[in-house]
Amino acid sequence: MLEQFVTGLGVVLQPEVLVYAFAGVLIGQLIGVLPGIGAITAISLLLPITFHLDAMSSMIMLAGIYYGSQYGGSIASILLNLPGTPSSVVTCLEGYPLSQNGRAGVALFTAAFSSFAGGIIGVAIVVLAAIPMTTIALRFGAPEYAMLVVLGLLAASLVGTGSNLRSLAMVLVGVALGMIGADATTGYYRYVAMPELADGISLVSLAMGLFGVSEIIRNAASRTGGVTQPKISMKDIFPTRQEARSLPGPILRGAGVGSFFGALPGTGAAIASFMAYAVERRFSRFGARFGKGHLPGLSAPEAANNAAAQTGFIPTLTLGVPGDAVMALMIGALILNGIIPGPRLMVDEPVLFWGVIASFFVGNIILLLINVPLIRLWVLMLRVPYQKLYPVIIIMICVGVYSHRTSVVDVVLTLVFGILGYLMKNYRFEPAPVLLGFVLGPLLEDNFRRAMLLYRGDFTIFVTRPISGVLFAITVLLVGFSIYSAIAQRRRVRARNEATTQ
Amino acid sequence: MDQAEHTAASLPERAAGGVVLLAFGIAMLAIGWDYPVGRLTQMGPGYLPMAIGTLVCLLSAAILWLDLSDTGIAAGPAIQWRGLIFVSAAILVFAGLVEATGLVPAMFLAVVVSKLADRNNRPLGILVYAVLATIAGWLLFLVVLELPFPAFWR
Amino acid sequence: MTMRLLTALPLAIALAMPAAAQDSYPDRSVRIVHGFGAGGNADTVSRILADAMTEGLGQPVVVESRPGAGGTLASGYVAAADPDGYTLQLMVGGHTVAAGLYTSLPYESVDDFTFLSIIGQFPFFIAARSGEYETLAEVIEAATADPGSIRIGHSGVGSTQHLTGELLDIETSADFLHVPYAGGAAAVTAMMGGEVDLVIDTGTAIFGQADAGVLDVLAVTSSERWPDNPDVPTVAETVAPGFNVVSWTGLGAPAGLPDDVVEVLTAEISRVMALEAVRERIAALGAAPVGSSSAEFQELVEGQIATWTEVIETAGVERR
Repeated sequence: MLEQFVTGLGVVLQPEVLVYAFAGVLIGQLIGVLPGIGAITAISLLLPITFHLDAMSSMIMLAGIYYGSQYGGSIASILLNLPGTPSSVVTCLEGYPLSQNGRAGVALFTAAFSSFAGGIIGVAIVVLAAIPMTTIALRFGAPEYAMLVVLGLLAASLVGTGSNLRSLAMVLVGVALGMIGADATTGYYRYVAMPELADGISLVSLAMGLFGVSEIIRNAASRTGGVTQPKISMKDIFPTRQEARSLPGPILRGAGVGSFFGALPGTGAAIASFMAYAVERRFSRFGARFGKGHLPGLSAPEAANNAAAQTGFIPTLTLGVPGDAVMALMIGALILNGIIPGPRLMVDEPVLFWGVIASFFVGNIILLLINVPLIRLWVLMLRVPYQKLYPVIIIMICVGVYSHRTSVVDVVLTLVFGILGYLMKNYRFEPAPVLLGFVLGPLLEDNFRRAMLLYRGDFTIFVTRPISGVLFAITVLLVGFSIYSAIAQRRRVRARNEATTQ
Repeated sequence: MDQAEHTAASLPERAAGGVVLLAFGIAMLAIGWDYPVGRLTQMGPGYLPMAIGTLVCLLSAAILWLDLSDTGIAAGPAIQWRGLIFVSAAILVFAGLVEATGLVPAMFLAVVVSKLADRNNRPLGILVYAVLATIAGWLLFLVVLELPFPAFWR
Repeated sequence: MTMRLLTALPLAIALAMPAAAQDSYPDRSVRIVHGFGAGGNADTVSRILADAMTEGLGQPVVVESRPGAGGTLASGYVAAADPDGYTLQLMVGGHTVAAGLYTSLPYESVDDFTFLSIIGQFPFFIAARSGEYETLAEVIEAATADPGSIRIGHSGVGSTQHLTGELLDIETSADFLHVPYAGGAAAVTAMMGGEVDLVIDTGTAIFGQADAGVLDVLAVTSSERWPDNPDVPTVAETVAPGFNVVSWTGLGAPAGLPDDVVEVLTAEISRVMALEAVRERIAALGAAPVGSSSAEFQELVEGQIATWTEVIETAGVERR
């Protein structure tokens, strides 16, 4: 494998190929910063250019846009609480508080470095384990996905800073919002108040509303007008030594979680970053610091979503089946160049296959190199008074959301969710679990119902199928551990109370 | 930080969250009442709406009870009516105009309206700012990104 | 990059200019609207056409994606647009399915549109995991013997792929279990993992795997063997005489388009459809690039509306 990888590297480092890798990641990075204009819009706008390029350059450039936009998405999330994708919602949770505390530079550096490390680990997994990962991915059927989502939802009740009861209620509200539209199993219309809702609420509207618009409402008229960032020099963007020492663990765990989930077609980065965050939070000794700008809580999901962005190419490259809409676009670009991707791609087109993978490696390095110097520029932007910034942010959100599906209804819904998000926070409800329920709810329902359809209503398949069984066992352990630690903590508190009363 | 954060929440303030959530759950059940429910092994499209609706109602009742019995809850920050109204108006203006007049007037008026949320502004300042922001938006979205929307009415 | 910016500039300026003089069509940018997500088949075909037509019309042709409700949001939008030739629609076979599937549509599926030309026609292929079945007849036999034991994965309830499977049910003695997935790719993946036995989808979704020997292509749904794949037998010749499903993409516009505009557009479409580059790209997407007259297009649409409405009724697919 490594040999072919080196050959691929040789291909990518030719100047005429390298320029497309560079252009791709740069465009992706810049477009990712714009709220609401995601990788899909960017790639489809650039698709006609690929009519005039060869397959390799097209793929390298489009792939660069894809993972480059993941980097860019973190920037808007950290600086302005504007998540464009479900995975950057998790970035907001720790990144935005850090930026509010005047530590935007450190947050951006940590995010960039964690993304880089996660991306490189993801590439390593693609190079070394693409085939075994494919085998595992193929064994994920409806029961496995259903169990995986149950596990994810349980872990998610730990996301957010409020009480567990309130988080759970918000997850359910998210699930409810996710049910709007045509039911995937029967096509029955649920809660479709107008035809524009037939395909459900747009995730971009929900995320932009709950996080971005609500924050603008909160700050637009405030007299203080947000925080003024201190002037920073190059050394202020690096974490302190003590903080740096706390990061390798979260990065490695995050990249591991991300690499695994990324390789499953269709689920990818969103679950990966939520899971990585939940894992960090569950097993951290500093649980109370999460949600207030805790660096490990930023770095784990960042590593996870970029690792997932790389391993997300595994099913696309080894099977020729796209895991999501962006991958479908890239397959489209290959097809237009006369290459029908399938399991033989690796054998028939080794130069293309390994060239593209090697370009991920090079692309991640380029991203780190252009990101670090840019950090100061981004932080400088925060020195612009909020009053000068927010109207521009509003039109960026409006245009971004509108361009997503060319839908005015989506723009109005973004406002509705913005107001909702604003009021929720005032009444101590957290928006993050809503997003999670919204993403995972339909996945659970579809896969559960598909499993019941396929196995004729037999519940035992959830335990008898090996992977599903393992997931079930982990779920039971997680629940058990949570109950145990809750009881243990109560006992400790009681013991302390008794000690103080005596 | 506002002084309000430290005062205790009044009774209606403590009840509001739970009540709204309860209303949401009841609405879910009411609208989804006629959806075919099916059984657990053969779920119809109405199964999950009923289940989730019921759970939301139960949870909201629990939250309501907890919030009402806890008098120590601090009141949330006062609602920023100014921001709420003008930000909402700006987004609605954009939504209403973008297909009728094109992107440029929609962006311009959205910026003007949203700028009204800011307390210290002068008419001329708003105008200059809005013109600059609109030009920037036009350059970004239509020139660089080539989004397929008309700049003006046709 | 620089070159791109340079090419973008005139386009942007053209977009920015309000309609100045109403001389001859077209004097400003033309939109091709479609009802599916960016990057889907409809989007790609639109962009291929837009790319080529920009040259011939001398005005920028831009693509606008208005996804939602199986493409019916876009159809409703185009039906209500001014019939001036500046709003065109890339229509797909789903337009005829929607006519039977939706209980209330904000438009008349035939009368509210001007059908300009068919762009591409493509059949579906029925595939199974390699080595499972030799012929489609074997599959039908197994599905008849044990109803519900053979599982067909399809790309979503109400998709043409789904209804083709239902039609196979109706036309033969078989009783399949139809399993919905979120898109054709997910269904193919599920079949490779052994979760379903058959998949009905387009050539592009299947031949990558078939060439690698992972899947066997059992049959094609067109009434005649497909020219690009003459070895694949038809459903008609094996199990269901008369079976014919061929889907399509085509260019339409609102009803009431002035004759001179129709003339300009049909001339441009036939010019574009004769271009080698365009034909190659459409063929690469698994479709036969075929221009047509307006009447042929309309006839095709009317015929398919009748077929799908009946299939939906007979198979008991939930109407919405």
